Amino acid sequence: MRLLNALLIGALVLAASYVYKIKFESTQRVERAAKLRMEIRREQDAIAALRARWAQLESPVRIQELAQRHLQLKPLTPQQFQSFDNLPERPPEVAQAPSDGIGDLIEEATGSISSTQPVLPTVPAAPATPDAPDPAEVTP
Amino acid sequence: MTAAASPPDSRRVRWQRFVRGLIYGRDIDRDVKAKARIGLTLLVFACVYAVIAARLVLFALAPEAHTARRGAGQDAMATARPDILDRRGEILGTDVKSPSLFGEPRRIIDVDEAVELLTAVLPDLDATELRERLSSKRGFVWLKREITPQQQREIHRLGIPGIGFLTENRRVYPNGPIVSHALGHVNIDNQGIAGIEKWLDSRGLADLHLAGLATDRLQKPVEMSIDLRVQHAMRQELLAARDKYKAKAAAGIVSDVRTGEIVAMVSVPDYDPNNPREANDPTRINRLTTGVYEMGSTFKALTLAMALDSGKATLNTTYDARTSLRYGRFNINDTHPLHRYITLSEVFTYSSNIGAARVALSQGVEAHKAFLRKMGQLERLRTELPESAEPIVPKRWGELNTITIAFGHGLSVAPLQAVMAINATVNGGYLVPPTFIKRSQDEAMKLATRVIKPETSDRMRYLMRLNAEKGTAKKADVPGYYVGGKTGTSEKVVNGRYSKKQVLNSFTAILPADDPRYLVLIMLDEPQALPETHGFITSGWNAVPTGGKVIERIAPLLGIAPRFDLPPADQLILGLTASVKANKK
Repeated sequence: MRLLNALLIGALVLAASYVYKIKFESTQRVERAAKLRMEIRREQDAIAALRARWAQLESPVRIQELAQRHLQLKPLTPQQFQSFDNLPERPPEVAQAPSDGIGDLIEEATGSISSTQPVLPTVPAAPATPDAPDPAEVTP
Repeated sequence: MTAAASPPDSRRVRWQRFVRGLIYGRDIDRDVKAKARIGLTLLVFACVYAVIAARLVLFALAPEAHTARRGAGQDAMATARPDILDRRGEILGTDVKSPSLFGEPRRIIDVDEAVELLTAVLPDLDATELRERLSSKRGFVWLKREITPQQQREIHRLGIPGIGFLTENRRVYPNGPIVSHALGHVNIDNQGIAGIEKWLDSRGLADLHLAGLATDRLQKPVEMSIDLRVQHAMRQELLAARDKYKAKAAAGIVSDVRTGEIVAMVSVPDYDPNNPREANDPTRINRLTTGVYEMGSTFKALTLAMALDSGKATLNTTYDARTSLRYGRFNINDTHPLHRYITLSEVFTYSSNIGAARVALSQGVEAHKAFLRKMGQLERLRTELPESAEPIVPKRWGELNTITIAFGHGLSVAPLQAVMAINATVNGGYLVPPTFIKRSQDEAMKLATRVIKPETSDRMRYLMRLNAEKGTAKKADVPGYYVGGKTGTSEKVVNGRYSKKQVLNSFTAILPADDPRYLVLIMLDEPQALPETHGFITSGWNAVPTGGKVIERIAPLLGIAPRFDLPPADQLILGLTASVKANKK
């Protein structure tokens, strides 16, 4: 009988300490969760503030002003659009490239351009397809 | 226990028995009774412990509610609003957290010291007012809303008792005045009081605020139909035009003709929603939804659409424009009198008032009225924007009213309303209610009602294009975009008379005219004559070139491919209808 009691008391103490440990851990975790939640909140607020700032910086008014001050770009005209159908055929390989200012310059600078590579004559720039205007459109 | 009684105590035992006999009765088995009692006690205690255990479990299960409430207490005032984005996802309006300063006058020990210290950190705070507030008997007073984090730190370091901070959401519009009227603004408590912001509140956000539920940042953002780039381009050009022609005001709309979406809406002078006080200035109203105007010749488009749709007239039906049209004591004249019979297309391209009046008369007063009602011109147009204006419709609508309304005088509508109707005449005949919220074409078709036949719509496109090729809208014919359009110059009523000097000019353009995708409306209020315009103040000299500039700038943004060497309108558009007809047969 005494043994049983002793055993029971032992078991009780063990159970109590175990429960205490669990409780302690859970409290710790809850606190950590609350802290993390607060941190997330703070981060979200910071993100929101930064996003607002970003939107302010990339506002079209500001971009236009900067572009006008620092770039030599001009507003796009309809004539600058070309479709793929209007692209000239790739010219056949030419043995002797016509005098090509930029190519000559590169050759001078590097001196190692392989002569077998076909040199394209300067084609008037056809910058973009009409269906895909530049996403970062800056038309001052 | 009774068994342990010893003989010397026999008297006591007998006494005990006697007493117990008195209490329990003689012939009751007390062992059974005791067992039952013990059982009962066990049961009661078991119940009590079960309740305690259950309660413990409950407490253990829901500790978050407690901590969460502690966290939320800090920003009880934070009424979060969803972000507002443009159609491409650019931020138009967003929330930023900022601290606000409050005081609890009952807990303040030394008011003078507090006032002194606070005004040192916040110089723009009025000292006498501050003292008054802090000396009041109230439990809570706001001292300053929306202070900077740095000021918060400094005040915190002062360590004044009874002064605290609450984090509040502050609405920020990063693009300033670019999108002002459509977006609207909020008051200091972050409640929408104009534009889409107010619409958000009316959709249940206000109730959420009252319930204290809208403090979360995870609300779904609202996507507007506005394209920020187009809006900006339109605003720039309108500001330039307003300066150039010294107009009182300028306004413009870009609308998707198929979905009714408003891609841009500008009315200058406008205001910065970050500074809502400017919005109270009556000159800064949104002329496109809150103003009503006689739209002038723009309305001829509706008159001709009615005639063509009735089947009673074709493009070649002729009307008598030999002399001015007399009605009672009124005389209707043309700006470019032709003094001959003119066809329906000439009525449009020469913008003949006499012709338009005769077209409307040939349909009859009732038919005219019914058609305009069908096109939504006689009732108030409701959009998401809370601001709207009732059209001014003549109370008694006689023949004279039909004559004047045929060329856009005598009926005042909100310009947005006219845009909706003209959209319907060119998009294949569907009247789609305009919207400021992104909408797909399927959604639009569900809301649309067919008001005119597709063939009529084709003819209207043709007339619009013809006007850009030969008529009054030549200056807006940006090469490559196949623009079509109709001009309108309406004389304003000054002291009860139509003035020749004060006019309201408008220009409605569609692009591309053979299969319109966008409609552009430009309005100039009282433009002045310039040497450059040869002294003219009609629409063709100011609103149309402005429209041309706007179109050249926005068409690439709207993704419209320029096409060159297109055949003239009578081949491309009317030829188109012929082939469609052939297909049908």
